[in-house]
Amino acid sequence: MPDTAPDPSSPQTAPAVSPLVPCVLAWLVPGLGHFSLGRRGRAFAFFAVVLATFALGLFSGGTSSLADEQQPLSYLATFDNLALGPIEVIARKVSLGGLVYRLPAEESDPRRQQILSRLRERVRHPTYEYGSTYLLTAGLMNMLLILDAFDIATGRKS
Amino acid sequence: MIRSHFLNMVVFSVLVAVFFAFLTQARTRDRVRVVLILGGAMIVLSLIVAYVMYPFPMPR
Repeated sequence: MPDTAPDPSSPQTAPAVSPLVPCVLAWLVPGLGHFSLGRRGRAFAFFAVVLATFALGLFSGGTSSLADEQQPLSYLATFDNLALGPIEVIARKVSLGGLVYRLPAEESDPRRQQILSRLRERVRHPTYEYGSTYLLTAGLMNMLLILDAFDIATGRKS
Repeated sequence: MIRSHFLNMVVFSVLVAVFFAFLTQARTRDRVRVVLILGGAMIVLSLIVAYVMYPFPMPR
């Protein structure tokens, strides 16, 4: 065996924890995945940027997306919101009044009417579009952080 | 809450640029360069696109 070949039993090559652990941590709190991998400066910067984007979205009248059967792209937007982790619950509570993830398909469903009237209130907000874009961007940022944490944990990125 | 369109664009550009600077660069000097180039490009290109769109209003 050549000297340069990695030894699989070596503690340097064998990861102490599964690479999925930093990914889950990154999903739970933005930046926590990088913090657990020893990138503390980056972790604080990511936490601050993602949280600032999220807070701006919320205070600008942004709304969390709802999965709607009539609009297939809404599934992607809802998934993007969910990538933000548990803090997304705050946005959903504030903007939709509860943990609603799907718009009921039945037109006569009273819950659908209730959600739509709540959405109409939010849309009247002058910066509603900006707010929703900030919320979606925060979700996309955290998605990239999860993937970046995975790359670092698996050694693909230093 | 920021009501100005321009200020919203600047804040958004800066946040995205800072995020990508930390994501892609390791040294502070390189990060500052990315923030200036990426943030600046987003703002300048948005203004250019806005002026190009100006003579073409949406049909009513």
